[in-house]
Amino acid sequence: MAKVVPRPELTFWERIYFVEIFKGLATTLGHAVKTVTRPDTLPILMYPEVQPDIPRDYRARHRLMKRPDGSPRCVACYMCSTACPARCISIVAEESPDRHIEKRPAKFEIDLLLCVFCGFCVEACPCDAIRMDTRKAILAADSRRVFVIDKEQLMDWDPKDYPASDTQSQKAPGGSLHTQALADFRAGSDH
Amino acid sequence: MELREIVILALKFSLVMIPFALVPLMILMERRGAAYIQDRPGPGRAAIQIGGLRLRAFGMIHNLTDGVKLFFKESFVPPFANKWFYILAPAIPVITAVLTPALIPWFGPFSFLSANTGKPISVVGPFLDANAGVLALFALGSLSVYGVVLGSWASRSKYALLGGMRASAMMISYEVSMGLSVLGLFLIVGSFSLTEVVAWQTTHTWGIFVQPVGFLLFLTSMFAETNRNPFDVAEGESEIVAGFHTEYSGVKFALYFMGEYCHIVIASALIATLYLGGYDLLPFDLSFDRRITWLPAGPYDARFIAAHLGGMLAFVLGATALLAFAFNLLVGRRSRNYGRMAASDKAARLREYGFFRVLSLLAGLGLAAGAVAAYLLIKTAPVQGQIYPLSISLAVAAVQIGVVLAKTLFFCWLFVWVRWTLPRFRYDQIMALGWKVMLNIALVNLLVTAVIAKLVMK
Repeated sequence: MAKVVPRPELTFWERIYFVEIFKGLATTLGHAVKTVTRPDTLPILMYPEVQPDIPRDYRARHRLMKRPDGSPRCVACYMCSTACPARCISIVAEESPDRHIEKRPAKFEIDLLLCVFCGFCVEACPCDAIRMDTRKAILAADSRRVFVIDKEQLMDWDPKDYPASDTQSQKAPGGSLHTQALADFRAGSDH
Repeated sequence: MELREIVILALKFSLVMIPFALVPLMILMERRGAAYIQDRPGPGRAAIQIGGLRLRAFGMIHNLTDGVKLFFKESFVPPFANKWFYILAPAIPVITAVLTPALIPWFGPFSFLSANTGKPISVVGPFLDANAGVLALFALGSLSVYGVVLGSWASRSKYALLGGMRASAMMISYEVSMGLSVLGLFLIVGSFSLTEVVAWQTTHTWGIFVQPVGFLLFLTSMFAETNRNPFDVAEGESEIVAGFHTEYSGVKFALYFMGEYCHIVIASALIATLYLGGYDLLPFDLSFDRRITWLPAGPYDARFIAAHLGGMLAFVLGATALLAFAFNLLVGRRSRNYGRMAASDKAARLREYGFFRVLSLLAGLGLAAGAVAAYLLIKTAPVQGQIYPLSISLAVAAVQIGVVLAKTLFFCWLFVWVRWTLPRFRYDQIMALGWKVMLNIALVNLLVTAVIAKLVMK
């Protein structure tokens, strides 16, 4: 059903434009003056220098989890790269020196420009080796090569940046459970 | 011709380049103004690295990168375009932008004694002091629309042609009310010469107080004349792609762009000259009120500036020093604000802020010291007769150029300010406003002015 939208009847002062124009100019000048004098009140984020404050479960840049000895927890099973709809993960496997473990990644690269941040790799991983909880949501660089991150970059994270309740990461070097985990490992317990 | 006269002529010629010199400032003002009005900090990524210091120079580097980009782009001519007119068209706005400032009086007339003959040599404000200066200026200013129309036609693109037709139709409508709105002022002054208009304003009062309606009409017409918001239907990017310069890129687009900004500067200078007293300091002689004792009696013309040269310089330097201190304060606030953020480039940014804080503090202190020194040291005694030494006359001219530039820059800011405040008019609304409203008001204004002028001025 058609609805008639009545045009608002303009008053005399509105029809001669000038009063309304000066009111508009006052509004915009107010914004300009506030921006110049009070930079702290601006509703902006200095992209890309400042990372936004986002929750931990936001699917952000990946990281590779570590064993207590600092080696990657990944066993190069290709589950993540198989699950990946964007085919952005490329893995090269090699033999692991540890007799308990069959393989380890010689190369583990993620092309962040291809990645669609769906989180399927995290779900596919059988040993919780890859996570997307770094909270690094803004990725900006001058070159495309920078966006292809390798194993070292994926494992370059600090346990202090992650919550203490996260026991998995606390077993990593620097974590509160590190010493105990290392003792368990040396005692030959299953890990 | 004497050597000093030739040097003065060369200096006057350099004044013709003022609009070109102000174009980078206009672009910066446009970007910053847009940003500040929209609650953003504005351009601040392009930077030059000097040693450990990353200088962004308030966003000026963006102009440099724009220039490099546009000048090194391929000079492309669409295969369907009319090649020669396509290349010729962007030059027309630039040519008019070079010619028109020659007619604007940037300072008041003065004379000095010739070293050879001992006779006074008079120097006038504009480079060309034409009797019908205003008419020549309007004629040249209106020529810039030929660049728009020719370029749009030569592009052989429907969108460009639509933009060009809009521009020409709008120009025709608004030239009429523009001409009629200034006629009232010329009726009162009794001359078409711009120097005469400013001289009349110096001895009486500014045009804006004599012709307030004419001022508003002229200002509005100038917005239409320069194709600025809310009258920028020639570009109308939401309707006709980019309007008349749809097919233009690279250096030819840059020429259009430069011509447009030059036109804004010239329009601002013209408004300042016609209605805000040009190089005149103050609109009224305030000495009629005996309570105002700190201000000496007027009129505030060249003789006034010459007699109080030290005080004038002290005022100008002191005001600049205050600006430097305000800048220091604002940079400090930005620095503290940035220090609170967890930014990846914090160190470089804070170093740059620190550099500008030190620089502005030193500049402010230096300017303040200069102001005090100028007030104490420069004493000019009133000279009997009209002819001052050349040095004092040149100093007076410099102060007057500063006054014109200050007024011009205010109107440049007004152009930016209005652009980011008002939406674009619809095309039929523009036509209705031009023909049904402004033309009638201009005619009535002219009639009333004529009657009053006849009754009052004899």
